[in-house]
Amino acid sequence: MSDHHDDHHDHHNPGFIQKYIFSTDHKMIGIQYGITALLFLLFGFYLMMVMRWSIAYPNDPLPTWMSWLFTDDWKAQWLSEGKLPGETYNMFGAMHGTIMVFLGIVPLGFGAFGNYVTPLQIGAPDMAFPKLNMFSYWIYLVGGLMMCASFFLETGAAKSGWTNYPPLSFFADADHPHQFWTGQTQWLLGLVMLITSSLLGSVNFITTIINLRAKGLTWMRMPFFVWAMLVTGFLLLLAFPPLEVAGIMQVVDRMFGSSFFQPSGLYHQQIGLSDASGGGSPLLYQHLFWFLGHPEVYVLLLPAIACVAEIIPANTRRPIWGYKSMVYGVLVLGFLSFIVWAHHMYMTGMGPAVSAFFQTTTTLISIPSVILLTCLLISLWGGSIKFTPPMLWACAFLPMFGIGGLTGLPLAFNLVDLHLHDTYYVIGHFHYVVAPGILFGFFAGIHHWYPKMTGRYMSKTLNHLHFWPSLILMNTLFFPMLIQGMAGFHRRWYNGGDAYLTADPESANVFGKTVAEHIDLNITMSWSAWLLCAAQIPFVINLFASIKFGRKTNSDNPWNACSLEWATPTPPGHGNFLEEPVCYRGSYEYARPEVDEDFYPQWKKPVEDETKEG
Amino acid sequence: MEIPYIVEPRKDTGLNNSKIAIWLFLASEVMLFGGLFSGYVFLRVYADYPWPERTLPVLPGLLNTFILIASSITVVFAWVSLKLRQWRKFQVYMSITLICAALFMVFKAVEYKAKLGHQAIRLDDYTVVEGHAYPQEGREKGITKNLNIDAKRMAISVKFVDDAYYKALSEQYEGKFVLADDLKLNSGTEYKKGTAINKELLEEAKVDYLDALAINERINTEINREVIKEANNHPIVGSQRYYEPERKDFLSKRIKELKDEQAELGNYKTITPSLLFDSNEGSSRISVNPRWGKLSNKKEGEEGDLTLKDKTVFIGTTADSSIELHVDGIDFRHTVMKAIEKGIDPEVAINNSWLLKDEGMKLIWDKHQVVVAKLEALLEEHGKGHEPTEVELYRVNWQEIAGLEKTSIADLEGMNHEEIMDLFPGDIEGFAGPDHYKVEYPEIIVPREQVRFEAVFSPRWNTYYATYFTITGLHGLHIIGGALVLGYYLFFGRKMYDSNPEWLANRVEVGGLFWHFVDLVWIFLFPILYLM
Repeated sequence: MSDHHDDHHDHHNPGFIQKYIFSTDHKMIGIQYGITALLFLLFGFYLMMVMRWSIAYPNDPLPTWMSWLFTDDWKAQWLSEGKLPGETYNMFGAMHGTIMVFLGIVPLGFGAFGNYVTPLQIGAPDMAFPKLNMFSYWIYLVGGLMMCASFFLETGAAKSGWTNYPPLSFFADADHPHQFWTGQTQWLLGLVMLITSSLLGSVNFITTIINLRAKGLTWMRMPFFVWAMLVTGFLLLLAFPPLEVAGIMQVVDRMFGSSFFQPSGLYHQQIGLSDASGGGSPLLYQHLFWFLGHPEVYVLLLPAIACVAEIIPANTRRPIWGYKSMVYGVLVLGFLSFIVWAHHMYMTGMGPAVSAFFQTTTTLISIPSVILLTCLLISLWGGSIKFTPPMLWACAFLPMFGIGGLTGLPLAFNLVDLHLHDTYYVIGHFHYVVAPGILFGFFAGIHHWYPKMTGRYMSKTLNHLHFWPSLILMNTLFFPMLIQGMAGFHRRWYNGGDAYLTADPESANVFGKTVAEHIDLNITMSWSAWLLCAAQIPFVINLFASIKFGRKTNSDNPWNACSLEWATPTPPGHGNFLEEPVCYRGSYEYARPEVDEDFYPQWKKPVEDETKEG
Repeated sequence: MEIPYIVEPRKDTGLNNSKIAIWLFLASEVMLFGGLFSGYVFLRVYADYPWPERTLPVLPGLLNTFILIASSITVVFAWVSLKLRQWRKFQVYMSITLICAALFMVFKAVEYKAKLGHQAIRLDDYTVVEGHAYPQEGREKGITKNLNIDAKRMAISVKFVDDAYYKALSEQYEGKFVLADDLKLNSGTEYKKGTAINKELLEEAKVDYLDALAINERINTEINREVIKEANNHPIVGSQRYYEPERKDFLSKRIKELKDEQAELGNYKTITPSLLFDSNEGSSRISVNPRWGKLSNKKEGEEGDLTLKDKTVFIGTTADSSIELHVDGIDFRHTVMKAIEKGIDPEVAINNSWLLKDEGMKLIWDKHQVVVAKLEALLEEHGKGHEPTEVELYRVNWQEIAGLEKTSIADLEGMNHEEIMDLFPGDIEGFAGPDHYKVEYPEIIVPREQVRFEAVFSPRWNTYYATYFTITGLHGLHIIGGALVLGYYLFFGRKMYDSNPEWLANRVEVGGLFWHFVDLVWIFLFPILYLM
């Protein structure tokens, strides 16, 4: 199998551009998504490192290793004596959030892993609509670049938070003569493009999963990964359009002067009374935004859980525990995620009845989440665990995501949220979910499927150099946030609380004293962040060097796993499978008595003696 | 392996790929328009101004409804023809579908044009007057709506000055405005006082300004870095945290010292963020698009300034910036709303309004009172509990003004409700709205200080029109998109038809499903926007 060159069904021999750039092959598109998303993640990381400097050392100019990227003109406009002023901090903050969520994690999870793995796991030759798939990627790329390019506009990039709440976002850059060329508008247009890309992608995914499953791959034989992608697809399909609408409405507000989200009598200190008709509602935007915003959380999460759910059985050599409850759990999770959105809006004064409803649904949604995590945890029980690189990450994912999830519970209750809203506690909570949770899941996935993509393993040594510092630094970075948050640190302080603290122990300013007690945590966190960046260097080296120097795999199924993607040649050619695959059993049939090996792949014809099977 | 189920349906799902995809796509479209419709409901329920009810001309909308329904039927016929392998018939039905789509867009364009040419003003006391700002030919377009100032002096921000603004306005000030002071740039170039404003000067000043900024920033950053290093090595403040007062004092003191040192050495560049120009004629008239700037004092003849969005400021005396309007609509509903909020009798508020100080307007309003009285009489005949609506009481629309122009109060007194209604133009006459070439509407001049807010009937005017344009605009884009796809099948489908007619039939079916969805959206849109 391994000496296979090209699929015999493949009539054409595509040139370089068709093969690597304008490719319609789901595997190449997946890799394109992956590399692009990792680059965006790196850029978002960089923005955050600059911000963390301003938080830890607000009175010190940025060090040269941080500011070398800026031109002198840019520094003159956006820095003040080498320090980060509030406006620039806001810009970086807004773009950090946007890039990480929309340009980094979603494309990495859904775009990269979803694209590469899903068709392989269901035994399909490609996605149902390969050209559409290609367009999804290119629209995403253009949208993302548009957003990032806006850093170089006269107005700078968007600066109203990743949520872009009006009327704040409406006033930002409002007096620029050409609204089209403002960071705010470019952000909105970029967002509309990203959403369009995701919509096309989700239509493609769902169709592929419904119609292109291999013979014998019934719904309950599907790997959990595919289930998770199906639910993610539906979340994107149904939750994203309202935000697209909200984005379009904000563009109309900016470019055609309407007042969808501007209330009457809006006044700004510098601009004065707003020359808009008024009569709109900022609350409407929040509803539209969070109607996407909450399902979006699960769009981020599910691909990561999906990766972990594939890796744990393969490395414990036993079936995943509670496959069916996981499937039903993820379906319930998908449904519930549509009716929890307003728990982001407890502070808007929606009234106790509405708050109580969303508080209830929010606590309800923790049940399926806990089912998923518990099933994965119990899957470890009694397994013969092999700590391969992917397993290392998967094992770290469980407690890290656990902390992230559990710290979310207090936020679900509106009374507690009154205190914690918009503090570093919230930041700590969702960063625990996203960074050591979701990202660790993705690192696990990269290590797991890398041998299939390249025919070589990633280095174990480099992985240890990457894994252990990351694990420790993630915790020293995010745990102090929870503590600071409970002390009342606001998430948007650009100087880390410098303006609020009282050093005088006799002072009656109680909050000032609390700030003083906790402000030094900023330094711990910032150094953790910078060292965390250094800890990613082994990964980057590993990712690229292993293509050439990694240990070669000795079979098409290096992990001895059961699902269909391991039945393909390595790397899979155009059209994926040499012959049409047929499924005979579920995807986690490890340690079956009827075969000698400890795994029984889906595509293996049943052994002669079938009477033993239950 | 090839991708399966492109044409044939899969057995267990009973569908081919594109059928599944289009239904999924339509689901997301439902969420898209669902978001817009819920936005509409939200904005209407929480509106803090009188919602414009039934303000759109119904006839074009109604015709469009029929046109779209007809096209939905013909698209099905086209599909059936393909299934029966009748190419010619397919061509005919598909062409009709496309013609319907084009017709729809034409009616839409007529409607849009009428709206975008229709001026509305919210006066200071919340009275709304509508009409045409420039109905007659020959009057210079745009002038009456502009903001005008007799400027003695102008200040230009070298960094923000905008090319498009400069290009549009430079005719008005080039040669008239000259440098108020000598200008010496860091590069050594000098401009004497009295140099006329010109593009090169501004460009040069901008480059010079940005360079100076960058150089000074570099010096200051270096100073800060040096001082931080110094502080860290200091025996006392070196071990202190950045926020401790002693360290802070040390830093600010040292930074100041070093900055003074640099200043003495003359290393800092001069920063000239803005340039002042004086009019060489004493004062010059500047006329600006009202969207480009703001008058600080709107009253004619008083001192004030006009600030543009590119931070150019004209200082002088506000000139006549009034709006000349041929009135085809008066609306006191917002005035009444505000009066009730303040506990004032609505009738008093209306009678005290600025608008009714104008004789022509007063006459219309008096006539309207007769019309209302006749209506009340009619409703009384029908029994108790029937009262005129707010719209009928406080709004005079264009049909009424056009009708009342033809008659006098005395004549009106003698008519009954039905006779009065006969005076008003019907649906055909005002297909897309009032026609200012046929009817001479009363004229009024609104001084700028009376204008609280003005716009044409665009998204800017209120959230209703914002919703109307956004939803119908998106719907229109869907029509165009759908027509392009269906047109592609019509004009370029023959090859596919010859090789695999079933494939083409499937494609047309999928396109048809989309077309039906677009039709369905309009069926919701029509009553919501036109009738409710």
